Amino acid sequence: MKKITLTINDKEVKGNEGDTVLEICQANGIDVPTLCHFEGLSDVGACRMCVVEIEGERRPVPSCTYPAREGLVVKTHTEQLENYRRQILELIFTERNHFCMFCEQSGDCELQKLAYLYQMDNVRYPYAFPSLPIDPVSDYLVIDHNRCILCGRCIRICSEIAANHTLDFGRRGWKALVVADLEQPVGESTCTSCGACVQACPTGAIFSKLSLYKGRTDECQRITTVCPVCGVGCELDVLVKDNNIVSIEAPELTGLKGPLCKEGRFELLRQTRPRVNCPLIRGKKGELEECSWDSAAEVIAERVSGLKGGFAGIISPRMPNETLSLFHKFIREVVGSDLIDTLDGESHRIIAEGIGQFKNGGNGLDIECPIEEILDADCILIAGADAKKTHPIIGTLVQRAVSQNGAKLIVVNPSQDVFPLWTDIWLKPRAGSEGVLLNGLANIIIDKGLAVPEKAGVELTKSLGNYKTGEVSRSTGISEESLELAAEMYGQAQRGVIIYGEGLLKRNDPSLVTSLLNLADLTGNLAEKGLRVISLKPGANSRGGWELGLAAREIKSNGLKGLYLLLGDEKEDDELLDRLKGIDFLVVQASYHSPVTSIANVVLPSPIWAEREGKYVSMDGHSLELKRALQPQEGLLQDQEILIELSKKLGRQLSPS
Amino acid sequence: MTKVKVATAWLDCCSGCHMSFLDLDEALIGLTDAIEITASPITDIKEFSPVDVGIIEGAISNTHDEEVAKALRANCKILMVWGDCACFGGICAMRNLFTKEEVLRRCYIETESTSEGKVPSSEDLPQLFEQVKPVNQVVKVDCYVPGCPPSANAIHYALAELLEGRIPVLPSEIMRFD
Repeated sequence: MKKITLTINDKEVKGNEGDTVLEICQANGIDVPTLCHFEGLSDVGACRMCVVEIEGERRPVPSCTYPAREGLVVKTHTEQLENYRRQILELIFTERNHFCMFCEQSGDCELQKLAYLYQMDNVRYPYAFPSLPIDPVSDYLVIDHNRCILCGRCIRICSEIAANHTLDFGRRGWKALVVADLEQPVGESTCTSCGACVQACPTGAIFSKLSLYKGRTDECQRITTVCPVCGVGCELDVLVKDNNIVSIEAPELTGLKGPLCKEGRFELLRQTRPRVNCPLIRGKKGELEECSWDSAAEVIAERVSGLKGGFAGIISPRMPNETLSLFHKFIREVVGSDLIDTLDGESHRIIAEGIGQFKNGGNGLDIECPIEEILDADCILIAGADAKKTHPIIGTLVQRAVSQNGAKLIVVNPSQDVFPLWTDIWLKPRAGSEGVLLNGLANIIIDKGLAVPEKAGVELTKSLGNYKTGEVSRSTGISEESLELAAEMYGQAQRGVIIYGEGLLKRNDPSLVTSLLNLADLTGNLAEKGLRVISLKPGANSRGGWELGLAAREIKSNGLKGLYLLLGDEKEDDELLDRLKGIDFLVVQASYHSPVTSIANVVLPSPIWAEREGKYVSMDGHSLELKRALQPQEGLLQDQEILIELSKKLGRQLSPS
Repeated sequence: MTKVKVATAWLDCCSGCHMSFLDLDEALIGLTDAIEITASPITDIKEFSPVDVGIIEGAISNTHDEEVAKALRANCKILMVWGDCACFGGICAMRNLFTKEEVLRRCYIETESTSEGKVPSSEDLPQLFEQVKPVNQVVKVDCYVPGCPPSANAIHYALAELLEGRIPVLPSEIMRFD
């Protein structure tokens, strides 16, 4: 990049060609006030706070949109500019309702901070007092148009980073408003409630209902940990005041995982289930009764030593590696059983077997590529995965690739088009015909000469079933035209990414995974280390658990006498409940009361996500560190401590490795 | 040394700024050596005589507020205003989002505790303006101490500056709008 030299405030400074004047000021420690500028978003010059004087320009120009060039002579803080800035602030304050004393964001407001900086103790203009609505319809956020300064940061973050394009300017001039879709209430719009706009808003115009009046940022401690919800592994800044979570923010709002999602930013704060606060054992009357740790441990020790086999351990993939491996040890060495699984172990076995069948093995999960590749993709094939629902950040990255880079999007899904506004082709195979479809696509790609020649040998074609387009069409119910179009789209891609998930894995057919890997390999869609293929792993630390070998084998329910379920704060579902029914002796270590704890023989309290620490492995293989944001209430033990204490009761020493 | 004469008034407000002034606590004792408070809600003297410094808390909402503001302005050399209502309109200006009729109806007729309410209409009563205004839209103001209410510290700073012969502008560190 070419270096350029400018003179700013009589000092020579250096910058890169292509930088704006504002960027060069910031890089050189020259503090130019801004409002509509936001690091990582495009600049629009809406607020005019950053105006500077440039020699040769007839009037002050916004530095955020002014491209710097060699030899520019810039002044940033002349008396006239400072007067203009004060004047702009007064105009903003008189335009709508910016009275701070009844604003939720007072103390956390960039507009207010600038008014203090410019000692704005009065305004010289009449106030407009427009009658503007407040939109409180969403479960999570409120848009108060009275507090809006029309900087457009929310709109830009919604389109450029969250890639959802819900927010935009509506109406014109004096009447301009930030609107959702075609002026729908935001709660009834296409908004996904990722909350990126809440974090980007400089004033009290967009705020979170869940953080309302809980505390100001500067009263909070900021702890960076990892989201416990899905396998993407987004970092969360947890803002804590008096051991309560005030809000959750993205440490890097405009980064890859920046927008966060409804689950990570909001739902974690909306926990209404009652906590398990002390150990419980089922008493003589059949009711769960509070008891001491010691008596709970005795009951478990007695039953476990009496069982002699048939005792299994299942653990939530929300648990960090340290707890996972200690649990493994506990079941194997202390209980003496090799029946161990994770709640999502089935997904692992299908993925692992699918990878195993591909070219006799490969490198396990390392054959997959990092999620960054989605942004770089020119074509995305998403098979049996509702990414926007299960892994929202993946949905965001897909939409960014489509809207910003023109990537083509092929959805393979028998029941729904998971990206209805974005999909180029929706392939809707009849239930059970996914295998034919995927292998059929491979065949069509080979027939069209779009496969890498050395990969498309006769042997592979044979193994793919040697389908012709007509047969594939008849079996799957998809038109020949769509099949050919999809084959061309994916076959011609240079950086095509395949994403698959829950829907495909639920088919219980590892060969579908193999077929997808074949497709990527055949077309030369290789990543640095493996293939451009990503599986959406269900749990936050699924990959950690799988790599530690906790999900190697399925536990058959018949003959099972006892089960230790380390559930933590994982949400239970009916499927799990069904699996647990009929087990003689059930120990559940859980954070919340639920139908699962209500059928347990012993319930042990477990910390929630914010009370845990340890390490996760993200679904694409990054090691992530969990930090404790909340101190657990007195008397609560960490999951690992519980296992260690139980081992003592069983006469064994268990130490974390 | 002759004391600096001060008169204060509260208009459309909650009197919180005057309370904040009283929060100067022991600093008030020192101030009494330097200033003499003449007409003020604190002394309960209502007629203004000429003073050095006039102080207004509150916004201009009705004919009475305007009259008092003009009377004090006419009797003082320097006019200082306290609080967000006087500086900007503040909480009082919330009613500007509605018409005067809506406000009166809501206040005197529709409130949940009112039965058979009636909007008072005597000629002896001040007339509400259509819009609430900050003081500087009615009379010339020389200095401003915003805050809701301004802290005792901010009020003290402003008075001390005046006693030193300077027109106070609150530094950013102590200026607050809430």
